[in-house]
Amino acid sequence: MRARTMNDIARPAPSLENPLRASLVDERTGDACAVVIFGASGDLTRRKLMPALYNLAASHVLPGNFAVVGVARRDKSQEQFRAEMKDGVSRFSRRKLDGALWDDFERSISYVCGDFNVQKTYEDFRAHLQKIDAERGTRGNRLFYLAVPPAEFGPILNGLRGANLVAQGADSHWTRVVIEKPFGHDLPSARALNDTVAAVFRENQVFRIDHYLGKETVQNLLVFRFANSMFEPLWTREHVDHVQITVAEEIGVEGRGKFYEQTGVTRDIVENHLMQLLCLTAMEPPISLSADAVRDEKVKVLRSLRPLERRAVAESVVRGQYGRGFVRADEVHAYREEPDVAKDSTVETYVAMKAYVDNWRWGGVPFYVRAGKRLARRVTEIAVQFKGVPHPLFMTPDGGITPNVLALRIQPDEGIAVRFTSKEPGQHTILRDVAMDFRYGAAFGSNTPEAYERLLLDAMRGEATLFTRRDEVEEQWAYMDHVFEAWRAAGSVPPPMYAAGSWGPDAADDLLAKDGRRWRKP
Amino acid sequence: MSEESLPPPSISHVPLSSVLARLEQELRDLWTPPAPGEPLPARVCTMNLVVVTSSPFVAEHYTPIVDEVTQSMPARSLVITMTPNAPGASLDGEVSAVCSVDNATCSERVILRASGAAAARVGSAASALVVPELPTTLIWLGRVHVEDPVFRELAQMADRIVLDTEYTSLSSLLSLSRWARQARAKIGIADLAWTRIAVWQEMCARFFDDPRMRPLASRVDALRIVQMSDKGAKLGPEGSLLLGWLASRLKWRIEPLGGALRFRRADGKLVHVELAAMPRTEHVAPLALASVSLEASDDAIRAAGTVARDFAGDVADVLRYKLDVNLPCAGEQTVRLGANRGARVLDRTLHRPLHDDAFVAAVELADKLDDDGVVCT
Repeated sequence: MRARTMNDIARPAPSLENPLRASLVDERTGDACAVVIFGASGDLTRRKLMPALYNLAASHVLPGNFAVVGVARRDKSQEQFRAEMKDGVSRFSRRKLDGALWDDFERSISYVCGDFNVQKTYEDFRAHLQKIDAERGTRGNRLFYLAVPPAEFGPILNGLRGANLVAQGADSHWTRVVIEKPFGHDLPSARALNDTVAAVFRENQVFRIDHYLGKETVQNLLVFRFANSMFEPLWTREHVDHVQITVAEEIGVEGRGKFYEQTGVTRDIVENHLMQLLCLTAMEPPISLSADAVRDEKVKVLRSLRPLERRAVAESVVRGQYGRGFVRADEVHAYREEPDVAKDSTVETYVAMKAYVDNWRWGGVPFYVRAGKRLARRVTEIAVQFKGVPHPLFMTPDGGITPNVLALRIQPDEGIAVRFTSKEPGQHTILRDVAMDFRYGAAFGSNTPEAYERLLLDAMRGEATLFTRRDEVEEQWAYMDHVFEAWRAAGSVPPPMYAAGSWGPDAADDLLAKDGRRWRKP
Repeated sequence: MSEESLPPPSISHVPLSSVLARLEQELRDLWTPPAPGEPLPARVCTMNLVVVTSSPFVAEHYTPIVDEVTQSMPARSLVITMTPNAPGASLDGEVSAVCSVDNATCSERVILRASGAAAARVGSAASALVVPELPTTLIWLGRVHVEDPVFRELAQMADRIVLDTEYTSLSSLLSLSRWARQARAKIGIADLAWTRIAVWQEMCARFFDDPRMRPLASRVDALRIVQMSDKGAKLGPEGSLLLGWLASRLKWRIEPLGGALRFRRADGKLVHVELAAMPRTEHVAPLALASVSLEASDDAIRAAGTVARDFAGDVADVLRYKLDVNLPCAGEQTVRLGANRGARVLDRTLHRPLHDDAFVAAVELADKLDDDGVVCT
């Protein structure tokens, strides 16, 4: 059952309800609109956005009055653009391309070529959208998707405003803008970017996309925590020893050396995805599932994070960079051997941190987080390790009873596992760790919607719960900036190397070992 | 003789528990490695699916459907065939593991056949075989009588009862809904025919999605429903439910006059309802919907909407939506109805909410049509 959210209430109230629509129990159909993708020649459009829109069409949840408009600099014909999109859908869609459906879907696709820095582009573009409104009944509703680097945001947003393409509060139609990460590279740049957006769009028109939040298991975190009464009472410093959050990838920079040299894993993964996972793990129950109620609670977590002073960074944060090694039995290059990477690069491809959420619930409980490339295994998980039993009743020859662990796997094999201790059958009391393992794919089938499907449909419906708010982004940067400042102050010290295919540098193990703990090898 | 002094009914000494003991053992054996240390696929179970039929033929037809559903929704399925009018009393069955394509996870399937007097013990047998603490869905493929003790026993175990009005009447669906409302535990009632019309409903709802079209929802002048059947056939469950849904949602009153039913809008104006038939084509189920057309108008707007199967393809499962209106929201759209396979419909039914008020209202209206024996011309 879908809970009613604040966005449902905040949507422009139609004078009359559609009595047929109101009775449909299991469909979430988007509002009539034109989805306008800036940067439509890029990979994101072909690999993710267009397949997601096509799958929404195949699931009968795209509105009848719908259009998708690609905007990019490259000159190409409508036919050429449609052919490229068809190729993308046939290669990357989770459903096979259906000829009859594609023929219909393709009619909704059009392309506009133009320079984002020239106002005439937007004037021509407005005329194109008006024509689409007339032909396809999109009612002046626009979802602008900025699949472009942040440097392009300013010219595009100002161009849209200059061409009167941004709906105001009193208008009967709506305009929303979806922004892809990175939302800046530090706090000042994030603020500047947010200011640029805010000069044109109100915050409730802005949808900052973090595709992790569209993943089923991430959404399930809220359900798991707040729809099950047995776990929440244990979710406190009284019972939790520590929390480990891991975002590990087997792949290297995959041809994105230039990008990675600018960002590193901390900006690419930790500042956004990993911080969001931490927030969802540590947040208090929201008063409702409305976008702002959920995001308010996440912001409180971010504000409760103990600031990492410069000295604390040295003690609590470990960097690493992968060297040569073996991943899944293949020998792989070191980071510095990747294309477009400096031979003496000091960019981190691994980071591990110890963070504290200084509030009533979590006081004193460390949150160990790590993210890295070329690690032993691709896995994203949140593991809550509970405290040990207070008294060793059972004799165990090998160092005591292992504490219980609750592991929420985000990918792959999305699921939840609980590790607990059991007696082996027999005359002796021999204890053994066993796991109760719930796998999403096994329980619910694997044909779940892609994250972009969920997020695009939410944006079309004006539901912002799974998108990040301005203050969240800025709080995330405010916390991480301490780390960057400390690293800057330390000079360009090369990070310790770790072998590709390992679980990171030794210093990361030491980070936990000095607390008497160790990393999981999920 | 008073009732109290009646001797208790004699106990049947036909031993059937041994059959259950054997089935339980076979279930355990499924998960015993053939050799120590040999890997086994994981047994997964998220629910119990109890399927009851009164015909070996239907059971044979429906078992692959259940197997397909349990691939994506692992369950312990009990496919039960009852033939109470057969002589004697026998209960037999077998168990199997039904594994996913990659063989990674498996569900359990129990086939149970109860004939003669043993049919009365099906409820007891099923309650011994279901996995405790998991939700149970009863799929009853046949006519429903709520006073049937076996049905009652199974229904009381269930969180949801799924019927198919292709096999039973709308009035028995209605009486079941009434019974379920009175039942102490909340039991959801679902009809596979209702799921089959979901895409038609979605497309019909699109006629009035544009805010400028919404006032026309109360100004429908004409409705035409075409089903795939011979002329003169009774309006089938899909057509009845769709008409019941439209009439209940659009607040039409049904009134009899001269042996026929008339539909009147809330403002008192009559709606011209035409029910028509067209010859069935291959791959389309008997009495399935072929098209729905609506006409509505007010002082300024005239709209005609159609949702129709496209018979140009091989399997006629493409729906064409078309709205002609003197507004910019006119348009066309193509959607895939999806192969009307039993597994897909059952899977979707099991994913729906347990309670659906629109369904109950539609059934109540559809039942009046059914009572009246409305036919398609």
